Amino acid sequence: MNEPRIISFDEWDSHYIQLRDAGMMEPSYGGPLRRHVDDGGDTRLLRLRYDNSAASLRLWNFLLTEEDRLRAARAEGKKLVGTMKDLGTVPVMAYSLPNLVAFYPDGAWWIPCVMEMNAGLLSIASSLGIDETFCPVRAMIGAFVTQAHFPLPDLLTCSVGATCDDFSAIAQRLEGLDHPILWWEIPSRRHPDTNEASIILPGGFSAPVSQVEFVKSELERIRISISNLAGMPLDDKTLARGIRAANRVRRILSELRILVFTAEICPMPALEMQIAEMLAIHYCSDREEAEIVLCELLTEVRARVSEGVGVLSAEAVRVFWVNPVADLRTMNLLEDCGGRICGTEYLFAHALDEIREDLPPMEALARIALADPMVGSANDRAQRIIEDACAFGAEAVIISRIPGASHCATEGEVIADLVRSELGLPVVEIEVPPITDAMIPTLRTRIEALIETAIRRNE
Amino acid sequence: MISVGVDAGSRAIKIVLLDTQSREVVASGVVAQGVHSNDLANDLLRDLLERSGLGVGDITRTVATGYARNMIDFADTTVTEITCHARGVHNVAPEAATIVEIGGQDSKLLRLGSNGSVRDFSMNDRCAAGTGRFLEVVADRLSVPLDQLGPMAARSQNPASISSTCIVFAETEIIGLLATGISADDIVAGVQNSIAIRIAAMAGRGVAAPVVFTGGVAIVPGMDRALESALGQSISIAPNPQMTGALGAAIIAADKNYNK
Repeated sequence: MNEPRIISFDEWDSHYIQLRDAGMMEPSYGGPLRRHVDDGGDTRLLRLRYDNSAASLRLWNFLLTEEDRLRAARAEGKKLVGTMKDLGTVPVMAYSLPNLVAFYPDGAWWIPCVMEMNAGLLSIASSLGIDETFCPVRAMIGAFVTQAHFPLPDLLTCSVGATCDDFSAIAQRLEGLDHPILWWEIPSRRHPDTNEASIILPGGFSAPVSQVEFVKSELERIRISISNLAGMPLDDKTLARGIRAANRVRRILSELRILVFTAEICPMPALEMQIAEMLAIHYCSDREEAEIVLCELLTEVRARVSEGVGVLSAEAVRVFWVNPVADLRTMNLLEDCGGRICGTEYLFAHALDEIREDLPPMEALARIALADPMVGSANDRAQRIIEDACAFGAEAVIISRIPGASHCATEGEVIADLVRSELGLPVVEIEVPPITDAMIPTLRTRIEALIETAIRRNE
Repeated sequence: MISVGVDAGSRAIKIVLLDTQSREVVASGVVAQGVHSNDLANDLLRDLLERSGLGVGDITRTVATGYARNMIDFADTTVTEITCHARGVHNVAPEAATIVEIGGQDSKLLRLGSNGSVRDFSMNDRCAAGTGRFLEVVADRLSVPLDQLGPMAARSQNPASISSTCIVFAETEIIGLLATGISADDIVAGVQNSIAIRIAAMAGRGVAAPVVFTGGVAIVPGMDRALESALGQSISIAPNPQMTGALGAAIIAADKNYNK
């Protein structure tokens, strides 16, 4: 096994040659990281630091070649489904059929970071009235306009209702630009009234049966559209097979998370773990390959854990991280400051839970959709964070706000208060825009102070 | 032998020289922050050493803190201002359970454990409206020296209501208030209240007493009263509040057991 280390972009050049010369097997989308800078203009990669395993290289290459896969799928005659806002439900349906490929246009929110604004996506969004008061997901509008980052989908779905107000506004603007959207409503999850028929959802939340039935009816509309697009029915048997395949990915991720978050020595950096976890919701446009990529990463982590080696010192402070960051560099910063990732809640905890296979498939999907942490109360979300932070042995919590995101405006305080009162852990809130360069000193101060506080508390 | 604490803040650089054995302050000084933080800190340190009859060879260890801490090349290590203010305040006010620190660029609320260590903290985020910068802006807009803000606020009979949470918009609001005949005294008092209210919001559900107020803004007369009103409890100002960060850094420098 390659000695685990966190290395710079430049170090990857020579390291890649060493791995290749040592017989590293590469997929068709493999190659050195540098090609994404030279060919794709992903200049932000130069500033990041990476895990040095072949498995991590494959993960990065998989992430950074999604556009190629989408174009290849279209060339093969497959139909593309853009699934907006929905974090992990409609892709399960779409990937159940062989001639559909789902992708997540919202993922364009990382393009301004990776390309250091050079793609101009945020400027385009601003020129269309979606300015910086909205979440950086507004980059998606720019990507639809330029068509330089993904082909236009054949079907575009978007969940609406108990989702971010700003995202709904962004999607509405997109529809106004002649991109028809199949909207489906997700209600605000509420606690059942006394004597009201209720169901326990994945993640332990409860919801009225009537809400599950409503979501099921909404998803039925999606099922019809997807079937029409594919030219074949998405029947229960086919969908059940798709759910089993989705669960395979979720089980791999679950083991990966448990191993990484609980190992005495951190076996995988926070940055690669964030990329890996994101595969749960969109598979980077290829579910089967996503499973292979994650399996390889899991194999590497298992080996590291079994040998008691990792990428950080055993003294690194265990930090639970809430919300994904718009600037990937922030995950490196955590480790620079003496922390390590130990639990995450990136707004899609439900997409990491297994979908029940013992229920009718649409019922199971409706339940998982309603378990989305974003459609319930901040208190519900906080409770799940508390349970996970406790289970993974977190010593501190970072809540990173996404500028402009309406769900972040007030929930951070609720989560922070509950974490403090129930776990007694130090918490810090930070705000992370797509490019943090000018803010690195202040972000560093906050994270370092959190780490210092956790260390002193342990003394 | 001495230990040195350097607090390279956004508006000023503060240095404390501490006798490593007795933990008595040997000398301290302040200089305005500038483009070349390291040079400014070096000059101040040399001056303090000279005035104290000491040399660089007498220094056992130097800890830098503050916004520009990583630019101080003669520091042996860096520690954040959160930890340093807690250590400094605990030294001068060991009973403190909560610290409010308002500096030129940010403000913080620290909750302390019984041994003076930080249990938890909150900081304002990317906004100058809860910081000393707000006072500088209003002083500039009213064309009065900073040290006159306290007496002006004390003369206020009816503090103005400043509704904006952003100093850029608040400046516009101040112009509007002046145009409607509101007195400068009432505007200054209103700005002090506005800063205090933002700190209280950061404090959240509860603030454990005793509360100690520190940082550069604590020397502005009237800010303590505004904070007491906003927090709903009495507070005390730390002795020499501008220096508590540097003092804490010097104490940490003297503490051989402190490992970062």
